[in-house]
Amino acid sequence: MRWLACELHTHTLHSDGSQTLEELARGAVGLGFDAIALTDHNTMSGLVGKEEIERQTGLRILPGMEWTTFYGHMVTIGLSEYADWRQAERGGIDEGIEDVHRFGGLAGLAHPFRIGSPACTGCFWEYEIGDWNAVDYIEVWSGTSPSIRTDNRRAFELWTDKLNEGYRLAATSGRDWHNQNATDEPISVTYLGIEESQAVEEQEGVGQRSGGAAGREAGLLLPRKVRTESETEALIRALRQGRASVTIGPLLTMTVESGGRSYGIGSAIPAAAEEPISAVSQAAGKSAAESLSDSAADSLRNPPSIRVHLTLDFSVRSGLWSLPEQALRLKLCSERGEERTLEVLTPTPDGRTAERLDGDGDAAALSPVRLAVELPAVSEADPASRSSRRWLRAELWGTARGAYVRIAFTNAIYFDAPEGANC
Amino acid sequence: MLLDKQGTATPEDSRTHIRIPFELGEGVERLELRFEYAPKTLDDRERALELLRDSYERYILPEHRERALIRAERHLPLKNLITLSLDDPEGYRGACHRHDPVQELSISREQASPGLIAAELLPGTWSVTLSLHCIVTDTCDYRLRINAFGEAKS
Repeated sequence: MRWLACELHTHTLHSDGSQTLEELARGAVGLGFDAIALTDHNTMSGLVGKEEIERQTGLRILPGMEWTTFYGHMVTIGLSEYADWRQAERGGIDEGIEDVHRFGGLAGLAHPFRIGSPACTGCFWEYEIGDWNAVDYIEVWSGTSPSIRTDNRRAFELWTDKLNEGYRLAATSGRDWHNQNATDEPISVTYLGIEESQAVEEQEGVGQRSGGAAGREAGLLLPRKVRTESETEALIRALRQGRASVTIGPLLTMTVESGGRSYGIGSAIPAAAEEPISAVSQAAGKSAAESLSDSAADSLRNPPSIRVHLTLDFSVRSGLWSLPEQALRLKLCSERGEERTLEVLTPTPDGRTAERLDGDGDAAALSPVRLAVELPAVSEADPASRSSRRWLRAELWGTARGAYVRIAFTNAIYFDAPEGANC
Repeated sequence: MLLDKQGTATPEDSRTHIRIPFELGEGVERLELRFEYAPKTLDDRERALELLRDSYERYILPEHRERALIRAERHLPLKNLITLSLDDPEGYRGACHRHDPVQELSISREQASPGLIAAELLPGTWSVTLSLHCIVTDTCDYRLRINAFGEAKS
């Protein structure tokens, strides 16, 4: 897995930004980004010539557009064609999201709690969402110094509420970057994890402007070709699958080991994977009733557990951020609250944390800090209920600019409900 | 001149669109649009603070309102915002979402003002949509003028 540093909310002269795409791209490279999404207000005209700028700067530029409507701003990323933002009524954003999806895009709530009209027209999210399953992500951190802002805290809580309700949606940051004025405030990064490129099948002639609905229908008759997906497509897929980790400093990543397999951020662990292998093997030769009661008793004595692997990489975007030396808190959170808290010391100038002063010697400075934690797979309070958690994420807390704040958080890993259990 | 349309909007028109269709003949090579509205800002400070107070009630949690009111100055002056988007007979040709109260725009096959999409100027029914995001002054006058250039055949 490669984690690419992304800035997912930007503007140029094509809407109300005061920078060209080239200036934006060079600025992004200077800040250590691998990719940006261009999300101008209500237009995609700024993307003309992006390939040349990608070639010159090495930056990936994802196509996007910020729906800048009367009842909310919605960032859309990865569309092949324009979807009309002007039809959206207060109760009808679901159809808008459907259109975005039809054109291969993702839809996210932009700064949902930023103050609305007249100070910032339409900035506060006032749409009634009929189906939260359709929402791909929430931009929970907006602007610079995102983690101290009260409106962002509300957005983060909204995300957590939706996870608790059983929805699976991603959370991102977006600077809402309009100009190249320098800032000394912390800048957040959304890291998207991409796996090896996948093969994609496509119809020739699809995705061109002249296409439209008629073009797509005709496209069904055209030969299909298979090619390797581009890095841009891989990034969009990563966001779609919630393979994201957000930070104003070190990169925090997590995998969960369960039932002999490893699951990454954004993936779902099947309920069966949590069955303790011992209970299954013991069941051989016994009646179903016996083995059931045996395994229940076994769970009580020795509840099945999962192993959470956490990695903190302090070497990312080296020199472009800093934290005061301190003991950081690494928390594992789920709908059960904070399940575990660990302390991690910021690396000393020679590149090692106190926990790693174990003779790793002169290994490369700032090698990642790795930690592993055992968590019970079922509720500790009532293991017999076999109630699993629904989601798990890691958060890094510490002091930045004098305030104790969230410094980084992963997107969630999900737990499928056991068969027959109600969500 | 292809079109010269004037009107007056009031705060009640906030959050509405005005669609202005126009016909384009064959052979048009370039369109020039001039869009303007005035006033841009609400200069009645008391009225502006009143509007902000109302909006803070809606958008800011009770425990943070007092602090927001102390810092209300950062949101002044309040501004009217009308943006323009353009459609040709086949679909969207972009938008100019920015605060400038006077915008001189042009579009042709080869080039277009930022926000608009350069492509063939097809004959048929086009439209400008004015999106009245927010009107804070008692009245706001707007005017849209469109000129077509090229070997227009009527």
